[in-house]
Amino acid sequence: MPNLNRKRVYLSLVAALLLQLLPFSGILLQIKPDFLLLVLLFWLLRAPNICNIGVAWTAGILMDLVTGDLFGQNALAYAITAFLAVMYQRRLILFTVLQQSVYVLLLLFVNQVILLVLKSFSGSEYFGWTYFVPSLTGIMLWYAVLHSRISFHIMARQQ
Amino acid sequence: MDQQQAPRFFIHGPSPFVRLIVFSMLSLALMASDSKFSYLTPVRDALTVALQPLQVVANSPFVLYKNIGDHFTTQQALRNELDVLKKQAIFQSIQVQAMQSLKGENDQLRTLMQASKVSSQQSRLAEIMHTGRDPFSHKVIVNIGAENHVLAGQAVVDGAGVIGQVTRVFPYSSEVTLLTDKTLSIPIQVERNALRAISFGHGRDNVVNLPYLPANVDIQKGDKLVTSGIDGIYPAGLAVAMVDSVKTNVSSPFAQIIAKPMAGIQNHRQVLILSSDTENLVAKDIQQVLSADAQKQSDLKQKSEKGNDAKP
Repeated sequence: MPNLNRKRVYLSLVAALLLQLLPFSGILLQIKPDFLLLVLLFWLLRAPNICNIGVAWTAGILMDLVTGDLFGQNALAYAITAFLAVMYQRRLILFTVLQQSVYVLLLLFVNQVILLVLKSFSGSEYFGWTYFVPSLTGIMLWYAVLHSRISFHIMARQQ
Repeated sequence: MDQQQAPRFFIHGPSPFVRLIVFSMLSLALMASDSKFSYLTPVRDALTVALQPLQVVANSPFVLYKNIGDHFTTQQALRNELDVLKKQAIFQSIQVQAMQSLKGENDQLRTLMQASKVSSQQSRLAEIMHTGRDPFSHKVIVNIGAENHVLAGQAVVDGAGVIGQVTRVFPYSSEVTLLTDKTLSIPIQVERNALRAISFGHGRDNVVNLPYLPANVDIQKGDKLVTSGIDGIYPAGLAVAMVDSVKTNVSSPFAQIIAKPMAGIQNHRQVLILSSDTENLVAKDIQQVLSADAQKQSDLKQKSEKGNDAKP
């Protein structure tokens, strides 16, 4: 049932975008993980036939719209990150949860570094070390979700 | 482990690398056109409006929480607030009376000087919906936009002083850059000695700084900085910040001056957006002065010509 799968993937992406849009402020805003990228990576590794680089790019464009950043900034970062995920997708799917998490952490860092470079090109201010905190909270969330096997319930109905 | 579908032996569509190149090019083109030209602004606006329902849904739990909180405010808290407000009203009514006599006097003096009267500025009440999504840029989103005749560039204030400036306008909301953002600068004046300077947002610690002032500049800790009004955006005399520290460094010819904003940029919900009538007023003032000068000069010329004619 490829149609149903597709619907599940897109619905979860919209849900992630909603999470991303929650009006956090203060310290919560600083540690907020990139929900949309995490869900994207989840599907990129598990359903690469549905969630591909194009979907990641479109999600990035939506992020640009809601954050008011330079148009195409998040899109480029997401596309490159998605490419790195898809490149080793066959190998990654055989890894354990912990090994996968290490690679995903690397991807989250890569995403933030690309954004940092693009933002500094467009004349943004200096970022402190706290800039990378969302990657760490993101990987904690990733590990917690995969370890607690919530994802299996999501996956179970897909087959 | 996760059940994986049978691997696809036949690649459908272009390879990941080709896709990466195509989408990278596309986003680079978008970035270039967005930063250098404004072709994409209508597209952007339309898409932002399309995403508005999502924003509303995302904001709804917080709005609901706030409404519930409002509903269960204790009577004691309300009474306390009422007391404070009553006291404030009494004090302010005295000030307003003094203001009115001053205003009358000022208008009279201005008419004597043949300068244009400064009309009271129109303002619009707006409510902050949420802070910007990026924790490193100091921006907030307010609930009125182009539909309520908000324009980019208008000044935003609260009861205590300047908050910032409207930088982007969407149909139903607009983005306000706070004065602590690194990209925002405000022409200011030290209230004590009328020294003019420009304040720049610091970007990190919710403060502003005054760069490029000589090390021996006459600014002290505790000085109040107000808008100078020469930019035509901010009306003159609004409180901006209070000087917090003045440091001089032997290796630098400039003083390092840090000031704390007076307005509650972190904790207010209601703000005022001032419509920039002053722009026209300042322009009118300048034109009047220029035309008066031209008149004088032509008069002088005529006189001197007459004088020349009379001499021989």
